[in-house]
Amino acid sequence: MNKLATKIAANERSDLAHLMRRAGFGTTPSELDAFVVRGYEAVVEDILNPETAPAFESDLIDRYFSGEPIYMSSGEWFFRMANSPRPLEEKIALFWHHVFATGFSKSEHPPSMIRQIEMFRHFGLSDMRTILVELAKDPALIYWLDNNENRREEPNENFGRELLELFSMGVGNYSEQDIKTASRAFTGWTFTQPLPVYPNGHFMTEFLYRDDDHDDSVNTFLNEEGQFTGEDIVDIIVKQEATARFVCRHLYNFFVSDEPQVPAWGTTPPQDPEAVDTLVNAYFESSGEIRSILRVLFNSEFFKTSRFERIKSPAELVAGTIKLTGTHRFPSPQLLDLDTAATLMGQQLYNPPTVEGWHTGKEWIDGGALNERVDFAVREMANPSAPGIQEIITDLRKDDEPLSPERFVEKSLDILGSLEVSSKTYAALLDCAKVSGGLDFNSEESINHGPESVHRMLQIIAASPEYQFA
Amino acid sequence: MVKPYGMLRAGFPYVKCLGMRRVTNHPMDLAIGLDELIYVVCRGGEIARLMWDDDGSWDVPDREPIGGTGTEDGKFTWPVAMIRDKDGHLHISDEALHRITTLTTSGEFVSKWGEYGDGDGQLNHPSSIAFDAEENVLVVDTMNHRIQKFTKKGKFISKWGEYGDGPGQFNMPWGIALDDCGDIYVGDWRNHRIQKFTGEGDFVFQIGSLGSLDGEFYKPAGITIDCDDDIYVADSGNNRIQQFDANGRFVDKFIGDATLSVMARDYMLTNAHPNRLREMTTLEPAKRLRSPRSVRVTELGRMFVVDYGSYRVQVYQKEVVHLDSTQITPPMRSPTLAVV
Repeated sequence: MNKLATKIAANERSDLAHLMRRAGFGTTPSELDAFVVRGYEAVVEDILNPETAPAFESDLIDRYFSGEPIYMSSGEWFFRMANSPRPLEEKIALFWHHVFATGFSKSEHPPSMIRQIEMFRHFGLSDMRTILVELAKDPALIYWLDNNENRREEPNENFGRELLELFSMGVGNYSEQDIKTASRAFTGWTFTQPLPVYPNGHFMTEFLYRDDDHDDSVNTFLNEEGQFTGEDIVDIIVKQEATARFVCRHLYNFFVSDEPQVPAWGTTPPQDPEAVDTLVNAYFESSGEIRSILRVLFNSEFFKTSRFERIKSPAELVAGTIKLTGTHRFPSPQLLDLDTAATLMGQQLYNPPTVEGWHTGKEWIDGGALNERVDFAVREMANPSAPGIQEIITDLRKDDEPLSPERFVEKSLDILGSLEVSSKTYAALLDCAKVSGGLDFNSEESINHGPESVHRMLQIIAASPEYQFA
Repeated sequence: MVKPYGMLRAGFPYVKCLGMRRVTNHPMDLAIGLDELIYVVCRGGEIARLMWDDDGSWDVPDREPIGGTGTEDGKFTWPVAMIRDKDGHLHISDEALHRITTLTTSGEFVSKWGEYGDGDGQLNHPSSIAFDAEENVLVVDTMNHRIQKFTKKGKFISKWGEYGDGPGQFNMPWGIALDDCGDIYVGDWRNHRIQKFTGEGDFVFQIGSLGSLDGEFYKPAGITIDCDDDIYVADSGNNRIQQFDANGRFVDKFIGDATLSVMARDYMLTNAHPNRLREMTTLEPAKRLRSPRSVRVTELGRMFVVDYGSYRVQVYQKEVVHLDSTQITPPMRSPTLAVV
């Protein structure tokens, strides 16, 4: 892609717009203005410490949009993504949802799924030891990977295998014996039996450790011998370089640039080995703290120069678009439509296809999915009463000066997050701007036609190939 | 109505449960019909019709649900509250469609009124509704942070209230109820309190503040007043009902005592797997209220708690003896430790 066709040089504003697309779900124009005043490094610190911002107020959702179906939880999550004052809390939860992919389809138990995501919000920026231990205690994951069937007398290796293969070290860095030992160490890690869904709905379950079902025999794990508990296994895992590389490559893939699918990682090296090395160093310097690794990542040149190198996941596309248009700043029944839209694009939240998670990057795009993505974005931009659209119009007419067609295009792209487009897209946008002769709110006729011109411009931008990238 | 001099509050035992998942799906409110059926409006738009003995279910032809999901006349998107008028018609508020709909108890559409906006007579997310003595309709206009009064046909009469947390101000109010004197009680949801007003909207007093102790609230939803002027609040965020006397003194609370309804028992008798699951766990959580949205008390003291999160209605019976002045001493100025 010819990224600099619009001649927008990288600057702090475009860096911040980029940061918020990756660490959150984009910004509104007014938010971006405030971020520019605060400065890049200060904003990085703010988002890395979500507790410095007010917590998301769930009372509106509880009042207006509470219900058991998982598609309602999906709608609620989109609402949070678009409106939470703590964007990285939602983004890191989405990241771990990709990595520790747990599907609703097996348990059909929404409360445990919802709590898993809440656990990701709460612990997602902490250290890998904490995260893996919390994961191993998570009822949704325990059921998803059959650890409730992992008994002292009849071990089930599903969780032990995925813990090593997909959640920490990656294929090729452990033996079959290590899987067996890990599995035995997690015997007795189960959950309390919740009440059945009928006749009074779902009830919560809690982690339960059953000492009488735990195998405390002496075993070998990654060249260490002992009577291992689950925590012991995690302690050994998190100090492995393979774990650091695996986790950091995931972070690079999610926050910087699309990597090949995870199964190929054993044979395909990272596209930027030096970047991954930098993150691995940060891992060991911080005892595996995700917050510290992300601090290095967000402040790095490889991050700042990665603008528009990732294809938005459906969740990012949906949440980013509604954040921009402001169509869901208050709960409405239409939140349900967001789950439908993302599902049609290939990503139903709470329901990844397998424990391997979604295949990302270019695999998000096929003919049908692309149509859904474009249709959704264009439809959202077409809503003239949407508060976000109104704010964009206000921003465009802020100086009350007529905008030439060129300036109209450039300012629109800037307001939408310093978007960069190819020469071909730029030419199409310019043609669109020339139809209205630019943008002018100084005459009665132009006041009437101005918003219409803006809607048309926004829709064409939303339909452009570049809008599919973050 | 002549009020008793005093009351002997003998008890308030749990009686039974009504409804279950698939029949009363996320119930929001209920009304007792002139036909004595219990009408339960559910969040999805359906209005279940239950008999007191609860022996019927969704497959009884003459008691299929009425209402339904939609935006057309007689349908609902986000119903909140339901009241029954003297003619037996049901009036239901819908906070997504910003309107009040009237149905017959057999589900026939009668009328609708209300439109979105913040002008006089316009509504923004209307929630609870209540009749005054003339059957004018008081509507909690939640997102306009005010109360509006309309004729039963929807003609605007008056309004009061504004956004804020001072006396007479509201932050997303929800519940509303009137006592026999025409005084009005409003559940001030995001201010975690109940406010009492005269019939003209003049502030009288408030009950409660944010908290979970007795007399405190967390996001109070529906409220009701019984014929003794006791005040009942669905303290939704604290998963309980609180009862106050007419002066706002905390009297009692109800956290849930549920047993299986008749239809739930019928269901369980034909489903072996959930029976086994129940045998593998504790039943204590199953008794408790989960986000109750409304509470209604009949003239006979039967209290219906709309247990939104558990798809049911929990029923209690108020046991009270009215006393004359020979049976209870006059109000005392101070507490005492005298034992006789």
